[in-house]
Amino acid sequence: MALNFQQQSSALMRRALLIGLIAASIIMVTAYSREGSTGPLHTLQSAVSGAVSPLRIVGGSVEAATSTVGDTMENITADQNTLTGLREYNSQLEQQYAQMEEYKQEAQRLQKLLDLKDNYQIEGTGARVIGRSSEAWSQTVIINKGTNEGISTGQTVIGTSGVVGQVVSASGSTATVRLLTDPQSGAAAMVQSSRAEGILRGSLIGLLYLEDLDADAEVNVGDVIVTSGLGGSYARGLIIGTVVKVDAQQGDTSRRIVVSPNDSIDTLEDVLVVSSVGASDDDDSGSSSSSSSSASANGSNNSSGSGTGSSSSSSSSSSSSDNSGNGNSSNEGGR
Amino acid sequence: MGEKNNLVLVVGAIAAFVLQIALAPAVALFSAQPNFLLAYALVVAIVIPTEAGPVLPFVMGLLYDLTGTGPVGGMALLLVIACFLASRVFSLMDNDTLFMPLAIFTACALLAELSYGMLLMACGLAANPLEALFTRALPCALYDCAVGLVVYFVMARLLAGGAQDRGLRTPKLR
Repeated sequence: MALNFQQQSSALMRRALLIGLIAASIIMVTAYSREGSTGPLHTLQSAVSGAVSPLRIVGGSVEAATSTVGDTMENITADQNTLTGLREYNSQLEQQYAQMEEYKQEAQRLQKLLDLKDNYQIEGTGARVIGRSSEAWSQTVIINKGTNEGISTGQTVIGTSGVVGQVVSASGSTATVRLLTDPQSGAAAMVQSSRAEGILRGSLIGLLYLEDLDADAEVNVGDVIVTSGLGGSYARGLIIGTVVKVDAQQGDTSRRIVVSPNDSIDTLEDVLVVSSVGASDDDDSGSSSSSSSSASANGSNNSSGSGTGSSSSSSSSSSSSDNSGNGNSSNEGGR
Repeated sequence: MGEKNNLVLVVGAIAAFVLQIALAPAVALFSAQPNFLLAYALVVAIVIPTEAGPVLPFVMGLLYDLTGTGPVGGMALLLVIACFLASRVFSLMDNDTLFMPLAIFTACALLAELSYGMLLMACGLAANPLEALFTRALPCALYDCAVGLVVYFVMARLLAGGAQDRGLRTPKLR
């Protein structure tokens, strides 16, 4: 009898615990979705992400190790012809090595120039990617700079040849960057040549879609897409990518344009967290010329968009942006 | 639940957490990443269905939420429900074969991954539900199953003894 009572009590307690934990989860989800990026749950999430960043660095090493194991397996199974070919290739590489050393020194000099941060009129902080998202549903990377170095939520992040994302949370020594290809990502963007403005969204399959364009806006394959700066979430005039596909004809209100990002997300290693674009404090024409020069400097072959710029919004430094912290385009109120 | 089992559960939970942070990004296949925390919590719910409570899946889910960028509490909620369902269904349908725990694991993993995708969409993720199913939920659930199979054999050995002295309604390896 006593045992029965104990079992019933235990079952009741377990049931109460189950209901309590479900209720707690629902409350947390609701609170999380309603609070801003500075809310307690967001802050806790950011702190925990920062705390586990050393583990992510270990993960990066594991990733490199798995790649090395793959290479080793390939080498082990190589036949004699392959080895002969590799030896010849090795001799060629040795010749190239001396030349590469020259390039390396040149790159180091250029890197110092970049550190001066006046080449492209971009003020920012250089950072290295130390980890990637541990969940399948988001595309984020962890960088090795945080609030100690002045990184804050909302800052634009660029790679070697274009915008790659936006800081969504920052701890003392690390920050999480939501990549443009993340489905929750959104950036106010425009076609450089026609100045047609829209919202660039990521997707689960890793493509970038330019949406909400005017029906009569002219967009062609090969057009360069740059950030428009509307809403203040992203710094203005930074190159994002090029149009690779236009789903419908001009005049169709539901057009969707597929954009190929300039920077390869998979091989992202070093980034620059933009605190301000040099010409952003100038007048509009200045901004436009800055955007053009930025785009050109980043490898764009289409600099025809150096006009006055159709946007009348002030392009602002993104560092001050603190809308929701999620980088959601729906929160960009500029349009 | 014995002291030994408690120790095994805690060590296993820590191992699952470390694997999730350090290993999961490195072993991603295309868009699919394994969820070690989900796999571990579900396996425990199936291996010791009468003893496993809702605390472990809640903690596992919360760790997943806090180290990710999704809504805090989302995965915790889904893991608590999925593990509850898994343990109850297994208690009712255990037929002493390996098929039943695996089938229940697969169904619960798919349910959890799909529900998580829907939760994200409800929280503002702009994605097509079909796209979410075929590009994330399904591949991730399959990956979870592969991980869960390994974890199942380990945990069945450690928690249920892997022998005849296991209690009623616990899985038997065949």
